Amino acid sequence: MSETARVPLDFKPSGPPAIEIENLVKRFGALAAVDGVSLSIPRGICYALLGPNGAGKTTLSRMIGAVSRGDAGKLTVLGRDPWREQSEVKARLGVVMQDEVFDEDLNVLRNLQIYGLFFGRRGEAYERKIREMLKFVQLEGREQMPIQALSGGMRRRLMIARALLNEPELLILDEPTTGLDPQVRHAIWATLRALKAKGMTVLLTTHYMEEAEQLADLVGILHKGKLVVEGPPSGLIAKHLPRFVLEFDAHKDGAALDAIAAKSAIERHGDRAFVFHDSEETLRGWATASRLQGSPVRAASLEDVFLKLTGRTLDE
Amino acid sequence: MSEELSDAAAPAAIAAQEEAGAAPRAPAGFKRVYAVWFRHFRVYSNFFFANATPAIFEPLFLMLAVGLGVGNYIKQTFNGGLDYASFMAPGILAMTSLYTAAFEASYGTFIRYMYQKTYHGMLATPLTRRDIFLGELLWCGTKGMLFSSLVGLVLFLFGKVHSPAAVLIPAVGFVTSVAFAGLSFFVTSFVNSINHFQYYFTVVLTPLTFFSGLMFPVQELPANLAYIAYALPMFHVIETFRLVVSGPEHSSVPWAWACPFVLVGMAVTLGYIGVRRMEGKLKP
Ligand SMILES: Nc1ncnc2c1ncn2[C@@H]1O[C@H](COP(=O)(O)OP(=O)(O)OP(=O)(O)O)[C@@H](O)[C@H]1O
Ligand SMILES: [Mg+2]
Repeated sequence: MSETARVPLDFKPSGPPAIEIENLVKRFGALAAVDGVSLSIPRGICYALLGPNGAGKTTLSRMIGAVSRGDAGKLTVLGRDPWREQSEVKARLGVVMQDEVFDEDLNVLRNLQIYGLFFGRRGEAYERKIREMLKFVQLEGREQMPIQALSGGMRRRLMIARALLNEPELLILDEPTTGLDPQVRHAIWATLRALKAKGMTVLLTTHYMEEAEQLADLVGILHKGKLVVEGPPSGLIAKHLPRFVLEFDAHKDGAALDAIAAKSAIERHGDRAFVFHDSEETLRGWATASRLQGSPVRAASLEDVFLKLTGRTLDE
Repeated sequence: MSEELSDAAAPAAIAAQEEAGAAPRAPAGFKRVYAVWFRHFRVYSNFFFANATPAIFEPLFLMLAVGLGVGNYIKQTFNGGLDYASFMAPGILAMTSLYTAAFEASYGTFIRYMYQKTYHGMLATPLTRRDIFLGELLWCGTKGMLFSSLVGLVLFLFGKVHSPAAVLIPAVGFVTSVAFAGLSFFVTSFVNSINHFQYYFTVVLTPLTFFSGLMFPVQELPANLAYIAYALPMFHVIETFRLVVSGPEHSSVPWAWACPFVLVGMAVTLGYIGVRRMEGKLKP
């Protein structure tokens, strides 16, 4: 039925899933941006949706976030139909969108106050919550700043703080760290790990392998609207590839290409050549024999899995 | 300040969430609409005077220059004994309500839609598309109510208000602004560039205002032209204001009592169509 190659989760989740999707389709004219995706996300885990630009990550998370409606298939979020029961579902979600949308006409504090009102929250307890969350993302003291005066990293952190104000059961983050410097990225990862440790279910979309490897219990790779593989990061790599990879430039090191081809299969993607093997020693031996520069041998990564299955790199 | 977030800070913050206990529930529909209304009120109260300027002062300048200025040279009386400025007063109120709503629901709505992405942010909360535009429609009505009351007060000070029913000016202002906010939503839903609103204002709203009994009694036009004026929505708005500002004895037509009903009908119909159109523009 589904063409997704699946590796089972390495622990047994309990209770009903947070998100359940069956053959979900979303079309824009002739284009099927999400083309028959099926997946199930247990409560309490972090699920990372990986995929190149235009894969359908945002389209899928918007449907899950009850902002957009699927054209076919079945979608259940926190036990409800997110389109039919929009308000009820959204009341229990925290959403960090790909582009930060704040109310540009209001300052930081007013933004958070009005946001609360949309959830029916206000008063002293909510004000306390605002202070707490601003402190949590290290933005205390910025209450009176206009939104336009915040840097990109501050805005993203404010988005995360805002998404937590309504005590969500499910947090949806669409590329939370794209375009941020490594420091802020690590800070956001720390935040997400802390939330996960408290049992929150997190759905994350990203272009970054490292992000998925750092945070996710389950990774799904989306390509042209289809979920091509799914599984825990380590399991996925083990299932699809030998442990190590030798990567080099097929044009510059044409001689190596011929020498190694005699010993093993080589995968070519554009200028790059990839040789997979379970023994790091063997690969190093071949690299030295062909006088390849630098250290071209490394552990096989999710990116290699993606490349193998789709013939494309993730940031393409 | 350090950019680093500590894992240690998290548990305390999140623990507080769990104390709250039961699953959060979405606020009821009317509360969600009210929240949108309140958002506009909050933003608006920050820039009160800047916002109030065009919608209030243009009609008032028209009143000063034409109603009182030109009116000074007009010795004839209108609609059963009214001086020229008194004749114009209902039209000035209608114009205030119309332009208040039209500016807010065209330029204002489009900017929030296209440039500020205000609605996209709202959609990530329990608000539905309908909540968003119903709240905005009611806000336009509220703004029309405030501005027509202010202008009404000025007209009263000039002695151009002749009926105690003028206490109903805020209500008529509200309904009028809802009707024209609905019409403006309808227009906005088709517009892809902010420059297109100029056509709406010059080709639609300006003639609508000037040929509906603001400056001259349209009932004295040749019959065919008068019928055209009666068919314009603005005629019914001005006649409704005339009923409350000058009293029924100064109405332009014997059937003026029907105008408030037409006006309410327009507000409901145009409001409904406009909100539906904008819901569709904010694509699912
Ligand atoms: N509103 C829309 N109208 C038409 N096409 C759309 C719309 N939204 C998305 N698409 C198309 O659907 C496809 C998937 O887009 P989507 O934004 O979901 O990709 P993505 O995986 O989030 O990409 P990125 O990594 O660039 O954010 C793209 O081809 C995009 O052009
Ligand atoms: Mg995206």
